[in-house]
Amino acid sequence: MGKTKTIDPAVVQKKLQVLEPRLAELLRQAEAETDPKKKLKLGKLADRTRDKIRQAKTGERFSRQMKRDMVAYSFIAPNFIGFAVFTLGPVIFAFVLAFLRWDGNNAMEFTGLGNFALMFGNKRFLAALRNTIIYCIATVPFTLAAALALAVLLNQKIKGRNFFRTVSFFPYVASLVAVAAVWNMLFSPAKSGPINMILYNLGMAAKSLPKWSADKDWVMFTVVLFSVWKNMGYYMVIYLAGLQGINGELYEACGLDGANTWQRFWYITLPQLRPTTFFVTIILTINCFKVYDIVYMLAGGNTGVLNESAIVLVYHIYEEAFRNWNLGYASACAMVLFLMVLAITLVQFRGEKKYAN
Amino acid sequence: MKKKRLVSLLTVAAMMGSLTACGGGGDSGNTTAAPAGEESKAATEAETVAAAEGQTVMKWSIWDKDLTLYYQPLIEEFEKQNPDLKIEMVDLGSSDYQTVLGTQLTGSGSDFDIVTIKDVPGYTTLVNKGVLEPLDAFISADGVDLSAYKGLTDQIQVDGKLYELPFRSDFWVLYYNKDVFDAAGISYPTNDMTFEAYDALARQLTVDTPGQEVYGAHYHTWRSAVQLFGILDGKNTILDGSYDFLKPYYEMALAQQEDGVCQDYATLKTSNLHYSGAFSQGNVAMMNMGTWFLSTLAEKIKSGEYTDCANWGIVKYPHADGVEPGSTLATITALSIPANAPHKEDAWKFVKFVCGEEGAEILASTGNIPALMTDDIAGMISAMEGFPEDEGSKEALQTANLYLEMPVSNKSSEIEIVLNEAHDNIMTGNSTIDEGIADMNEKVGAVLAQ
Amino acid sequence: MKIKNRKTKTLRVILYVVLIALALVMLVPFAWMLSASFKLDKDVFIFPIQWIPQNPRWQNYVDIWSRIPLMTFVLNTVKLTLIVTFLQLLTSSFAAYAFAKLDFKGKDLLFLAYIATIAVPWQVYMVPQFMMMRSMGLADTHLAIIFLQAFSAFGVFMMKQFYEGIPTELCEAARIDGMTEYQIWYRIMLPLSKPSLSTLTIFTFVNTWNDFLGPLIYLTTESKKTLQLGLRMFISQFGSEYGLIMAASVLSLIPVLIVFLSLQKYFVEGVAASGVKG
Repeated sequence: MGKTKTIDPAVVQKKLQVLEPRLAELLRQAEAETDPKKKLKLGKLADRTRDKIRQAKTGERFSRQMKRDMVAYSFIAPNFIGFAVFTLGPVIFAFVLAFLRWDGNNAMEFTGLGNFALMFGNKRFLAALRNTIIYCIATVPFTLAAALALAVLLNQKIKGRNFFRTVSFFPYVASLVAVAAVWNMLFSPAKSGPINMILYNLGMAAKSLPKWSADKDWVMFTVVLFSVWKNMGYYMVIYLAGLQGINGELYEACGLDGANTWQRFWYITLPQLRPTTFFVTIILTINCFKVYDIVYMLAGGNTGVLNESAIVLVYHIYEEAFRNWNLGYASACAMVLFLMVLAITLVQFRGEKKYAN
Repeated sequence: MKKKRLVSLLTVAAMMGSLTACGGGGDSGNTTAAPAGEESKAATEAETVAAAEGQTVMKWSIWDKDLTLYYQPLIEEFEKQNPDLKIEMVDLGSSDYQTVLGTQLTGSGSDFDIVTIKDVPGYTTLVNKGVLEPLDAFISADGVDLSAYKGLTDQIQVDGKLYELPFRSDFWVLYYNKDVFDAAGISYPTNDMTFEAYDALARQLTVDTPGQEVYGAHYHTWRSAVQLFGILDGKNTILDGSYDFLKPYYEMALAQQEDGVCQDYATLKTSNLHYSGAFSQGNVAMMNMGTWFLSTLAEKIKSGEYTDCANWGIVKYPHADGVEPGSTLATITALSIPANAPHKEDAWKFVKFVCGEEGAEILASTGNIPALMTDDIAGMISAMEGFPEDEGSKEALQTANLYLEMPVSNKSSEIEIVLNEAHDNIMTGNSTIDEGIADMNEKVGAVLAQ
Repeated sequence: MKIKNRKTKTLRVILYVVLIALALVMLVPFAWMLSASFKLDKDVFIFPIQWIPQNPRWQNYVDIWSRIPLMTFVLNTVKLTLIVTFLQLLTSSFAAYAFAKLDFKGKDLLFLAYIATIAVPWQVYMVPQFMMMRSMGLADTHLAIIFLQAFSAFGVFMMKQFYEGIPTELCEAARIDGMTEYQIWYRIMLPLSKPSLSTLTIFTFVNTWNDFLGPLIYLTTESKKTLQLGLRMFISQFGSEYGLIMAASVLSLIPVLIVFLSLQKYFVEGVAASGVKG
């Protein structure tokens, strides 16, 4: 395939003098290595070196590996070009902004870590950070468990399955205005609110009934409950897709051994769903850190301003960016959010890799 | 060619739309729907029909195009007087107007000639950003008399410069439902009422029988509805950094809430109940609200949507002891010219027209309060169809002192957040009045010290 | 056997009770939307909730078509949603194949770049992005919305995860048979990933259909606006017409549900279902 150029034997010789001992050394190391992971890595390196030797001998312009790389890049390019121009570029710009002071119009000023210093003296930021973390810790596990349970349940052969699946997806697609309005009516702070009525009849004193999303001690709880309910249908869909990828023979093999439903779930379904769970966990965590509109709709009231008891990071970013046009400061806040998400994602990646081996 | 066909198609579609609205049964809802539909049709045409030879087209940013009755007549009259100029409205939507406008004006690529400014925090942010053109040179060149704005323009100067000119100025009055007063056999409120008298009246009107509640007063969840009672004596401003003067007013509102005189703030907040919805139920005796509600109320009663508050009136805001009646809160809507506007001179012509006397008359003819308020114009508003006919309501349009809901300061938007938060905490009972006020003092102090 | 049968029967009954209870909880907001769509604005937020309006107002469903150019908005939204969904599916599944099944230089780094951007809230880079688009002459065009939505990192990440579940041996066998990578993607991966493609279709469709902030910032000409912007036109400075908003929201749900219903059949054809049945 590749075009050949005239081969200069002296150059080839020179290349081979470097490459061949390197290959031998790699092979020796690979032989001696006991850790299977490192061994695999060394093996790959050896392959690449071998490929280079072959390339030097035949005089092809592109090595096989390069060709393989080109094929891979051609797969990625259509998406990556659009992604790089329209998303990655602005994102990188936003990172630079974190160290600048900019209102979107006047000249930028370099402030170093000034934005970060400001941030940690800002009560609203600290409250937002605290609330966001509480929200994530409470929401992620519950949503994950609810979505998985729902998916397994609705993957059974039952009557009206399509109906139940569609219905579960409803809260996610229905307009947030409507969903939040209903929720706030059910959890109305008035004594006559449906949920409060139940609590009252259960013997709770009228004075101590929670005011739900208007109550500084209950607002995050209300938000968490709401978001689990609203979003579990969404993650259920991902799990449903994941369940379809499990090989049925695995269950049959297991069925012969007399395993019960729970064992089958625990030993087959769950491990087989690992890539899905990994994906769901990461996306869910990220989405939780980025929560904003749910809180705003539930606790914002008519003014749409969130109090310190309910403010979350992205709302703080939004108000700083568009009410006060502190774009640099807003970027710095986003950076903090990003670093937290990144840390969690990396831990999950590592866990996933460890598990995979 | 293709474009033309699309235009005609759209026009046909819009026409069909308004036809179906008219044909859809003779019930009351039509009266509001039909004119709006026609208006949007007219607007579609205006938007797409190309400007004639030699005309300058100017872009004007607005919100609520179809619901605001004065945009179209203002443009028509202006274009008649200036045949070489054309105004193109760009509707940026009401709820996120400041966000979108701020983004559009960012950098040098914007092509807006005239922008509407919705509120003071939005104004100061744009001024701080440096995207607005000072108007002082235009004003002095044309000899515009600012005293006609009754001191409003002094309150919106930033560092001695004026970046906007108000064309609409709403102020707060007390709406009341005559039927509720009649049913209780109590005489109507007057244009000269102290806060004590107001509180006593509200309590007198309250009925707390479950299922048949009558609320003597109603406060919308905005901070202005309660907090700003405190600034009407002119002794304090909301930017002072010290808020102890608010205490008696919060005490009054919380006591009313406790005794069922007004509805519970927390419930109102979470249920998103709009003040018009609350007033239209017919169980609210008095409600303080801005004059923007006048035309809505009149129109909804006319259309038959509101039946339980059809018999209403307005009086001047209650006042503190020894303060002249008619001291009230004001909120202004204004026009500005962006620093990057392509046709500044022509844009100024439009600003001058809208904010001047001719513009004021057009606004008044649609039932809105122009910033340039004269006796003639007040007469035009009270002559509006559906405006209460009693003398008291007409007199209520005369104001003595106007205080902006949020005065101008380069910290306006940050202070506003603190005030909103404290108001919410006090009214929901998340903090006591003293805690809330201490919180305001501390946080606004911190903002001011920056 | 009999005892076992009775036991499964009771279990079934409990299962259905749970499912029906769940369905009710999920349907409450929809019932509210529907009921509000037949009300006057002043009655929408009245508490306690009146589930069945006294005088149902069908007029709301007529008014939404005349008050705003709803048809134009629907057509715009349909156009954008179809283009974005198509591009997203094509480019994401293409790129995901490389990330899942091919080995190449810079793979981890590129993938990290994708993941990293998911974690950055849009509000932060919205302004620079807008300025860039405007300098390219894309402000107030549908193309801007397409570029904004079609190349998301989410799609690549999700498809990659699902492709990793497909046995690598299949690809290797195909390579030995002489298939090129493109053929493997087209003949093996695509047919095997119907459930995940359906998922991505649903998500992209829903996201683009319901997207609000993007069109809000970019589209200013009325004839280019989308359905979600149209809904906000009923929210004005001094009041919101919730009756109309809900009527339009109910209508705007229909396409989403059609897509969901027609694609979820791919969630049953997997081999798993036969194995789990009790």
